[in-house]
Amino acid sequence: MSADPRRAEIDRRVLEWMREPHWNYSEKRFEELALELFAFQFEHCAIYRRFCEGRRQTPDNVKTWRQIPAIPTSAFKEVELRCFPAENTTHCFRTSGTSTDVRGTLYLDTLELYEASLLPTFRRFMFPEFLLPDDRAAMRVLAPSQTEQPDSSLSHMFGVVLDALGESGSDFDVENGELLFDRVLTALVESAASEVPITLCGTAFALVHLIDHMNQRGVLIGLPSASRIMETGGFKGRSREIPRTELYTEFKRVLGIPAERIVNQYGMTELGSQFYDAVIRGPSEPRRKLGPPWARVVIVDPETGHEAATGQVGSIVVVDLANTGSVLALRTGDLGRAVLDGFEVIGRESGADARGCSIGADEILGRRSP
Amino acid sequence: MTPGQIAKHLTQLRDAGERLKRRPIGEVLDVLGAVLDSWRDPNSIWRRDLEERLPAATGFTAPLVREGLRRALDDWTSDALRELAIRELGPLDAAPGRRVSGFDTTAVLLAGSIPMPSLLALIAPLAVRSPVLAKPASRDPLTPHLVARSISEIDTELGRCIRVASFPATHEDCTRALLEADCICATGSDATIAAVQAQVSPPRRLVLDGHRLSIATVVPPESADRRIDLAERLAVDIALWDQLGCLSPIAVFAVDPAPSHAAALAEAIAVALANAEKNWPRGSIDANAAHAIAQQRAEAELRRAAGRAVEVHISDSTAWTVILEDGPELRPAPLHRFIRVIPVANPKSLLDAIRPLGPHLAAVAIEGFGEETRALASALAELGASRICAPGSLQSPPLDWRHGGRGVLAPLARFADIEALPLGG
Repeated sequence: MSADPRRAEIDRRVLEWMREPHWNYSEKRFEELALELFAFQFEHCAIYRRFCEGRRQTPDNVKTWRQIPAIPTSAFKEVELRCFPAENTTHCFRTSGTSTDVRGTLYLDTLELYEASLLPTFRRFMFPEFLLPDDRAAMRVLAPSQTEQPDSSLSHMFGVVLDALGESGSDFDVENGELLFDRVLTALVESAASEVPITLCGTAFALVHLIDHMNQRGVLIGLPSASRIMETGGFKGRSREIPRTELYTEFKRVLGIPAERIVNQYGMTELGSQFYDAVIRGPSEPRRKLGPPWARVVIVDPETGHEAATGQVGSIVVVDLANTGSVLALRTGDLGRAVLDGFEVIGRESGADARGCSIGADEILGRRSP
Repeated sequence: MTPGQIAKHLTQLRDAGERLKRRPIGEVLDVLGAVLDSWRDPNSIWRRDLEERLPAATGFTAPLVREGLRRALDDWTSDALRELAIRELGPLDAAPGRRVSGFDTTAVLLAGSIPMPSLLALIAPLAVRSPVLAKPASRDPLTPHLVARSISEIDTELGRCIRVASFPATHEDCTRALLEADCICATGSDATIAAVQAQVSPPRRLVLDGHRLSIATVVPPESADRRIDLAERLAVDIALWDQLGCLSPIAVFAVDPAPSHAAALAEAIAVALANAEKNWPRGSIDANAAHAIAQQRAEAELRRAAGRAVEVHISDSTAWTVILEDGPELRPAPLHRFIRVIPVANPKSLLDAIRPLGPHLAAVAIEGFGEETRALASALAELGASRICAPGSLQSPPLDWRHGGRGVLAPLARFADIEALPLGG
């Protein structure tokens, strides 16, 4: 809990919401907390305050959570955004990237909200059938542990998930930067033989490696029907990139897990909450991402800065009450589109054709990276 | 279009090329000169047709297309073409010691949405008497067809030496068939260039143009009048073709021991871009481009909020953006009239800052360096720039500009030097 009494009170109310057994998407409750948190962050984060003042959007004239000025997630690479004294920092999560990239840093003085947010969300979208608090699943995580990568929010998240929701024996399967293929395969074969479903979690890139390895060895495993996959992240700085539809087809062919049991998680270091494809909860519904009641997404028309029309592609802006120590409103680097009560993330177009022989310096610099 | 049709085009072009080879080069240049003259004429049907239809195809606004063509084509005269040919190919009369010829066929893969590079890319092979098979860029399906028709109109026989093959870039079989030409000219992204390179084996001629960018570097004038004049010329360079060409500056490096002059220049460029928007409004852009602009604006605002000496000048929409930076780091360039003014202390700092861009530099507009101008121009050329010019003229390259540091016609030609030989038995 924060040392600042005003923020501690906000934290307490957000935590209370996160810990309620039944989710309540109350607009009024979100509005109140969001505006209160905005006012607090405006006051306690000088950089954010000046940013808002520059846009003439202050607690005096921001009347709804949709008007809260959002800062780009890329800003975490350049400035320190925190609403608490630097000496109170207990954790730093850093964004992923290649060795030459500048990595963004999220400073935290408590992990309480982060952990309280991630668990019920993971459980709701990955294991909606769990009824009892101590229901657990066999899980393999294709990512390094938090011991190996203490500054990775993803590793931390998986650690919390394994502790709370993993059957005994569930574990991380990346050690010293190596994916332990034999260990994963043994667990998958055992799952198939015992007909005990298994959940594979990891970055899309690690899962591609697993599929490649299985293809090379000619291994096909028919996992029990309730098995599932949670994949996250992209292929930034990696040597191989494959479209998500192709990846899902491979999951089905090699592991026997159909698309309706493959969940893409949309999260990022700078956010305290995550969003998930709601396919396991609603396999017959359109694939879309949903999140917890304390985190909302708005699709913004980048041309006008206003909320995009229904179905229009725009910038994904997240307002997340779990971000009490930094900034709650973030403009992500992604484009998306509203779908029913959720949203979908749209891949970016390169724009290379439009540019002809022109190119931005960023692309040139990007190509110079190994 | 199918691979079979493309192969047929190449066969027909080879046949047409046999007649072309027998025509004197001067005669062919006369025809092409007349073609250029007709394109320079704002009332020619080709020019009017292009001005009318290009906006819908590319998203450029009609006033911008008109102004861009006017400025670019003004000096592309028949005389300029003849001078270019003499400079690069030598005397046009058949000289005893040298033979110049074109390839049996030349395939031209076009990119982007700006018409003038396409016009020149199609005329150049014909000027060395090689028939041309052109693949239009997906963003500009018009220009190659209009150029082909304008040539046919003026000289039916030469018109038989140009064909247009339209197919999606993803159609690999068609691309393979096109790359059967004897000389291949390709412009585009580095991925496109690499893909072409991988498919073409020697001894066929490859003339490739990958990604390029341009910049401006100036000493900001102290006088307000001169500053406004400079800003207006820079705004022309930025605004024309919505910054989508390789001659569009992505940054203005202000060599300025007193940063206040750079700040004043940034402000003046903002005013000039706002005026340019009234005269030649920016075209429509997709969500991705608008998102990139919004993102870069917000990042700059945040740097300013963090206490850095950054200034942000923006339009209400994303129509134009001027960011005054406080350091020489190279940052993303979202284009579409988004310019950074980057103060640097002296020419040496300037060269250090832009060194990473060197191999990709197309042109640099420079002004205000007095006696240091020549030395700076040489240093910029040494870094990789193939054109050094004044602000305001970036978008009007002369016909003989050696794009990419090469010639215009010479790379497409086959030269043979015939030495003095004993005639006795």
